[in-house]
Amino acid sequence: MKLAILSESPADEAALRVLVEGVLGEPVQIVQAALRARGWPSVAQVMPAIIRHLHFNTDAEGLVVVVDADDSIVHTQTHDSPGYFHPQCRLCQLRAVFRQTVKKLPPARGRERILRGVGVAVPAVEGWYLCGRDERVTETAWLEGQAAGRPPYTRRELKWRVYGTDRPSLPHEIRCALEDAHRHARDTRHLENDFPGFRSLACDLRTWKRPSR
Amino acid sequence: MIASVTFRNFKALRNTSLVLAPFNLVVGPNGSGKTSLIQALLLLRSLARHPATVTARTVPPFESPEIVFRFTPPFAAVEVELGCSSDFVCDLLRVKTPAPELWAQARGEILRIRSYLFDHYAMAEPPSLDEGKELAGNAGNLAAVLRRRAPENFKLLEAEFCRLLPEFSGLDFHDFPDRRVQLVALLSEGRQRIQMENLSQGTLYVLAVLALAFDPAPPSMICIEEIDRGIHPRLLREVRDALYRLSYPESFGEKRPPVQIVATTHSPYLLDLFKDHPEEVVIAQKEGQTARFERLVDRPDFKELLNEGPLGDIWFSGILGGVPEEKPPEASQ
Repeated sequence: MKLAILSESPADEAALRVLVEGVLGEPVQIVQAALRARGWPSVAQVMPAIIRHLHFNTDAEGLVVVVDADDSIVHTQTHDSPGYFHPQCRLCQLRAVFRQTVKKLPPARGRERILRGVGVAVPAVEGWYLCGRDERVTETAWLEGQAAGRPPYTRRELKWRVYGTDRPSLPHEIRCALEDAHRHARDTRHLENDFPGFRSLACDLRTWKRPSR
Repeated sequence: MIASVTFRNFKALRNTSLVLAPFNLVVGPNGSGKTSLIQALLLLRSLARHPATVTARTVPPFESPEIVFRFTPPFAAVEVELGCSSDFVCDLLRVKTPAPELWAQARGEILRIRSYLFDHYAMAEPPSLDEGKELAGNAGNLAAVLRRRAPENFKLLEAEFCRLLPEFSGLDFHDFPDRRVQLVALLSEGRQRIQMENLSQGTLYVLAVLALAFDPAPPSMICIEEIDRGIHPRLLREVRDALYRLSYPESFGEKRPPVQIVATTHSPYLLDLFKDHPEEVVIAQKEGQTARFERLVDRPDFKELLNEGPLGDIWFSGILGGVPEEKPPEASQ
C-alpha cells in the first residue's frame, strides 16, 4: 500500500510507519517521504495543500496524520456521534479538514479520494511509547487528571521516561521510538485499548483494506 | 558559570538584569541588546586578563555605566563589577570576593569564554596548521582545528556531519607544502571531493557548530550570534541538539563539565523548538532607545500561550514583544 505520513519529526515518521504496518498487516511504501509540520495548528493549516498535492501529483492511496493533544480537549466517544463536532478537539478538527478538502477534489489518478488515517496522541506520542511499560500512562489517566485539574504527568516527564532525558538527540529519539513501535506493531490491541486516539487511527486504517473501497 | 548579568546605563541596556540558564536563546529586534549582552561577556573576559581591584568590602557602585556579574556555585560568593568611562569604553574591573583564591579560580573560567560569528568567506581560505589550537571567532581556522583533532574525535564529528548532510560520505584534508590545510568534503555519489570554498554557507556553519560540539576541551561559555544563519529550518533541530550536547553533556552520555551557551536568533523556526524548554528563551525587549531582557517563563500566561500555537508564530505576532517597533500610520485627513 502506498501512503504518505505527515509528522513533526523523523522520529515520529519512523515510528508511525511501523505502527501503520502493524495495523495493516503488510509493508507500506511511503510516497513523498519527510512531510513535516510545525506542530499544532500548523498541521491543520498545511493539510489541505498536502492532500491536494498527494491527490493530483502522486499515486498515494492514503495520508496518515498524527498530532499530539497537548492540553487540548481529548476526543471521546461522544464526539463520534453523527454530525457531532467539537471545535477544540484536534481529532474532530483534523477529520473536518480532511472531509472538507477531499470533497472539493475531483477523482484523479484512478481513485476517488485520498484515504484518511488520523490519530491523536494524548498528551504526546511518548504516551504511546510507554503503553505496556508503565500502566500509569493511559488516555484515561490523562482525562481523569484533566478533570481533576492535576495532570498525572507532563510532556517533559514522559520524555524522561522514554528517552532518559528531556533533551534526546534525534538518533536516540528514533531508536527509542522504533523499539516501542515494533513492540506495539506485533499486537496493537493494548495500545488501542489504552489510547483511543490511536484506536481512531487504527480504525481509519482498517477501512482502507475493505473491498468496498 | 555566570548566574546573572545586571546592566545600568550600558548602551541601550539602561536598567535591566538577566538570570542566565545553562542554555539561553535570545530573540529580539535589531538593536535590542542581544549583541550588547555578548559584548559584556567578552568585556568581562578581556578585563579579567589584567589584575583587578579585589575587595571583600561593600563599596558603592560605579557612578558611570556599570555591569555586574554574579556566578553559579562554586563561585556564588564572587561578584564582579565592570565600570565604564562612557557608554562604549569599559575598562574598570572590581571584584568582590571573600577569598582571593576563589576569584583566581573563577577568573580561569572567565578567560575561557568564547564568542563566535561564523564567516564562510574566512572559512573557505586554507589556514595554516599552526593556527589550529582552538576555533577562531569567525571559524576561519576550522580546517586547521579539525586537522589537529585526535583521529577518534574527528571520526565522531565526521559521522555526525554525514548523518546531518547525507549527500556527503566523509571528510578529508588537503595539506599544502607551506603548512596550510584545506578541508574537503566527499560527495556520497561519485566520491567527488568538494573543497571548502565550494561548500554552501550553511554546510560550513554546520561544520563549525559540530567542531564546537565535539571539542574535547570546550570553552566554559560559548556565545553564538545568529545561530540559524544560512541553515535550513529543518536542520535547526540538529543545530540545537549539537549545542545541547555542550550544555547538557549528560543527556548525550558525555562526562564533562557543561558549557554555558548564549545564542541569538531571528528565526521563528528555531524558536519553535523550545516549546518544551521555554525557560531557555530570553526575549530582548526594545522600547524607544531603551532595551531590557525578559525570560519567557516570567510571563504569567506563558503556559496558556504555548498551547495556542508554535512558539515562533506567537513571537512573530508581537504578543510576546521582542519585535521591531513600527511607526504608527499617520492619521488620515
